[in-house]
Amino acid sequence: MNAVGFAWRSLVRQPARATLGIVGVAAVGALLFDMLLLSRGLIVSMQDLLDRGGWDIRVSAGELPVDSRFIPNALDAAQVIAALPSVEAALVIREAEAQVDRISGPPLRASFQGVTTRSSTSVGSALRAPWTIMRGRDAEQPNEVVVDTDVASSAGLEPGSQITMRASCLSDLEALPVTRLQVVGIAEFPFESTSENTIGGTFDALQAACGGNIGAGANLILVRSTGDPDAATAAIRASQPGLRAATNTEVLGQVQRTGFTYFRQISSVLTTVTVSFAVLLITVLLTVSVNQRLGEIAALRALGFSRTRVVKDVLAESALTVGIGGLLSLPLGLLLASGLDRILKGMPGIPAALHFFVFEPQALVVHVALLVATALIAALYPMRIVSRLPIAATLRSEVMG
Amino acid sequence: MRSGLGARDPGLGTREVVVDARAVSRVFAMPAGPVTAVKDVTLQVRGGDHVAVRGPSGCGKSTLLHMLGCVETPSSGTLLFDGQDVGGLSDARRSLLRLNQIGFVFQRFFLLPMLTASENIELPMSEAGLAKAKRRARARELLEYVGLAARADHRPSQLSGGEMQRVAIARALANGPRLLLADEPTGELDESTGAQIASLLDRVNQGGTALVIVTHDPALADRAARVLMMRDGRIESEQAQ
Repeated sequence: MNAVGFAWRSLVRQPARATLGIVGVAAVGALLFDMLLLSRGLIVSMQDLLDRGGWDIRVSAGELPVDSRFIPNALDAAQVIAALPSVEAALVIREAEAQVDRISGPPLRASFQGVTTRSSTSVGSALRAPWTIMRGRDAEQPNEVVVDTDVASSAGLEPGSQITMRASCLSDLEALPVTRLQVVGIAEFPFESTSENTIGGTFDALQAACGGNIGAGANLILVRSTGDPDAATAAIRASQPGLRAATNTEVLGQVQRTGFTYFRQISSVLTTVTVSFAVLLITVLLTVSVNQRLGEIAALRALGFSRTRVVKDVLAESALTVGIGGLLSLPLGLLLASGLDRILKGMPGIPAALHFFVFEPQALVVHVALLVATALIAALYPMRIVSRLPIAATLRSEVMG
Repeated sequence: MRSGLGARDPGLGTREVVVDARAVSRVFAMPAGPVTAVKDVTLQVRGGDHVAVRGPSGCGKSTLLHMLGCVETPSSGTLLFDGQDVGGLSDARRSLLRLNQIGFVFQRFFLLPMLTASENIELPMSEAGLAKAKRRARARELLEYVGLAARADHRPSQLSGGEMQRVAIARALANGPRLLLADEPTGELDESTGAQIASLLDRVNQGGTALVIVTHDPALADRAARVLMMRDGRIESEQAQ
């Protein structure tokens, strides 16, 4: 019987203790796994949001990623940017406040995103709006819009429905006429928070909703490079010195330095705490187990079992406990992550499509490595006990006992 | 591993010296000062010998047994096992020596409760690297030898004290040892069961395996060819029977 088989029998021999160890490791392992998912989850998720639609550069009037200042003459700037050799296309985004009438209840407050036509340059491929169509199709005409799922469900809208809205483009005090638009699709807006409602359409649609009073400014220009975003960003900075241009990677770095650092720190602290707890738990259980079997271990040593072999038995017992618990920790961790993600996404201003916990193979590798280290470190003390066990004295004391 | 069961072949040079203790002493460092458990003991055990060690509690019987079994090394003197100086062997070499040449039977059996009788017997063979099929076959033979063939799949908790000790003897014989050491093998058993175990040990000895028994039981000691009386760590007398 090899060390693993022997360790398995030792575990089965004390089912309550083995279960306690395995459940403890599963619980601690689940937390550990979640902390690993959290440590990179926001970064990975934010990267995904930024990369959606294939826009790899962002241009704004102020600091990225968030600044409320308008880009003056944004359409002209976008035209110049789109004409740069390293740029494939540019898309201007202008936001306005809107109120959508409902059959019952007060009007629904929403943000109306108007974007320039997705063919501002002579590119061969179709350009995608910064939203994802879930049902129906994208808005292409000045009388067409797409709405998010919350607007659709709150106002009872489906592709083909008519929408009545008032948009406020320059001032809250404006008294603009009602505009009727057709809903042609239901869309997901990547940076929209759970408490926000969003409508999307062409720049012309927004212009119409604002009564032609939209001005030349815009909130953001999205740019797609021809393949070298760094070179394109440098070219944009040179051609538009009054604007801030940043690649998605730079935006992500900025976000990482400011907002996400706390999560990484929390994750690191909790990872250390959970691993330490797992080590202590397994060390205590193994030490108790070994101490209860000192007589048997001494007898085995007297019968010729080598010191290495009895040490291996203890290590295998630790590895089995941590291994089984670690396996259970994966589904448990994913379940817990999904619940925690829902809670954290409830924080105000967090994009609904942003995830705090994102699975990556790298997280699994680190999880496994930490569990292996846990099994090893936890077994050190009990291994020391059996390796230094005085055979004769132990046999004598067992008989006396 | 040798052929046969408990069962060494009595005709094959069994009288050669197996273990040779030359003026061995064993001193333990204790908080109150060193304690000499065994003092200047000289003893030879040959193949087929049947030796009983008697004496009052604390006289050093078990320590002597542990030295003969290469569990303890002497603090002074020389202990040769099969001509090898045990004091110069590493822990790993001594473990190997015990595994292949020495069998131990304990007062408290020390069978592993999570293993069946057969698996307990297989353990030393497994450690010695014997193939599974051969281990199984040998364990079956040994169980038959000790009269427990029907109990092969029983766990120690399902066996009586006498049966457990018989399994422990079978386990000690698993790798065909030249020397079998028994420390109070009947200490936990009633008189009748103890007599059965004594008979079994006699049978093992008659097969050619040298047998050294530490016991307080005069009936068990009387079966030995040589009886050593120990007192204060020394062999006070040796009686041939």
